[in-house]
This record gives sequence, C-alpha cells and structure tokens, in this order.
Amino acid sequence: MPDHQWNEMLAEASSEVLETMFFTGVMGAAQPDPADTWPRLTARLSFDGQPSGVLTLRVSEPAARALAANFLASEGDELPSATQLGGVACELANMVCGSLLSRLGSQNHFRLTSPELVSPDAGPPPEPPDQSLDLGDGVIDLWLRVDQHAV
Amino acid sequence: MAFRVLIVDDSSVMRAFIRRIILLSGMESAEFLEAGNGREALDLLRKEWVDVVLTDINMPAMDGEQLVRCLEADELLKSVPVVIVSTDGTESRIQQMLTLGARGYVKKPFMPETLREELERVLGGAYA
Repeated sequence: MPDHQWNEMLAEASSEVLETMFFTGVMGAAQPDPADTWPRLTARLSFDGQPSGVLTLRVSEPAARALAANFLASEGDELPSATQLGGVACELANMVCGSLLSRLGSQNHFRLTSPELVSPDAGPPPEPPDQSLDLGDGVIDLWLRVDQHAV
Repeated sequence: MAFRVLIVDDSSVMRAFIRRIILLSGMESAEFLEAGNGREALDLLRKEWVDVVLTDINMPAMDGEQLVRCLEADELLKSVPVVIVSTDGTESRIQQMLTLGARGYVKKPFMPETLREELERVLGGAYA
C-alpha cells in the first residue's frame, strides 16, 4: 500500500478516536511552531500480523492535559496526575493503532504490544511525523512504520 | 435494579473511562469491581459474584482470550456473561471470541450508547 494511503488512514483513525473517546475535534494539520517549547509525552507500541509495524505518538503537555480531562471527566481544579497523563497517551496510541488496523479489512487478526511511554531522553523518531494534528489546545504527532515486506 | 460489573483492563485510565461511561449512560445502579488482567479477574470471580464481565483482550499475565477459555471451562463461572471491549476490530478476532463463548463484542473506539446497548442486551431489560 502506498505511503499516502497509510497516512490517510492514520488521519482518519486519529480523528475517529479523538472525537469518539476524547470528545475532541481535529482543527487541521499543525504547522511547525518554533515558539512551542512545551514538554512532550511519547507513547509507542508495535503490532504483529500482516503487516507488522510500529506506531509512535507524541502529544504536547497542554494537549495531553486537555485530553485527559475529557477522557477522565476531571473537574476544573482537579488536575490529572502525571501517571494519568501517561496512561491517557498510551491508551490514545493503542486505540489509534487498533482503529488503523481495523480499516485494513484483514481476515487475520493482529497482536498489539502494550503501549509504553518513551523516555524523553530517547526522543521521537528522527524523521518528520507522518501526521501532525492541531487540537487547539496543543499538537499530536504520529509516526507509522510499516513492514512493507509483509503487505 | 442494581447490577455488578467486573471491568478487566490493564489500563487504569480505560477502566475509569468505562466506569464513567456506564454511569453517565443512565445505569447509575451499577456497582464496579476491577482487575488488571485475566488472572486477577479469575481470582475475584471465585470470591465475588458479578452480573457481567467487560474485558480487554491484550493484557499481561493472562489475556482476555485465556480468560474466556478459563470461564467456559469452569462449571461455576461459565454462566457469567463476558463482553469483550477491545481495539482489535478485525472480523476474524470478533468471530473467534464469540465462538469461544463471549456474549458480546464492543470495538474501541465506541460511542457511549454502544456500550450501554450491549450491556442491556446481555443483561436483559431488568437492569436497564
């Protein structure tokens, strides 16, 4: 499958998950902003099947807080804990990956690893993200690496 | 009428989300038990009665597929209905889990009303 089709499906899967489970709309593609120096949370999981691959999701701290508040229905003065923010980032990555793979219409099922937070020292993949989504409160970046030999 | 739900998921935020969605969807009489994997769920089910189990598939220690197999093999527990709540939405997986004995399947992401409808279907109207 060509890269642009994967990217389209990744954008569709992300929008579906954000709207359905996080009650958050995507405002469009995020533009690079050198002034945005917010810390980022990065979650990663791999999937095994036909095809296999790795999904990496990076979310800025303001976006993570807004998503966690929606997902967990936190009250205004009740800030999500760091553990909850990490859990929300991991669950978002998990659901985006599941939604993406469901779109393949495969007859075989996939094995997903449990999503894990990536240490800030490890950093994101060196290449530009495949999708960069503006949520209004912040940005989500997504990288998808697919083992094309298995497609 | 009150009913008891066992939520099995290794993600504590997902367990909290499911709890919230059930309460928000008008099923305020629900009581909740939680487990982080299939093994913890089995331990709980041998001590506590529940009306329905909502379980993820992909979990450490014992996954949802193994949990369903164990419940089906247990004379005392096989009558407890299990609904799968999973990101794995492939048709083959859904059919596999239903064949193993799961009574329902909710694909993540899901609309709140989808979970409520599945719970009502599995539990029957008395709990709605």
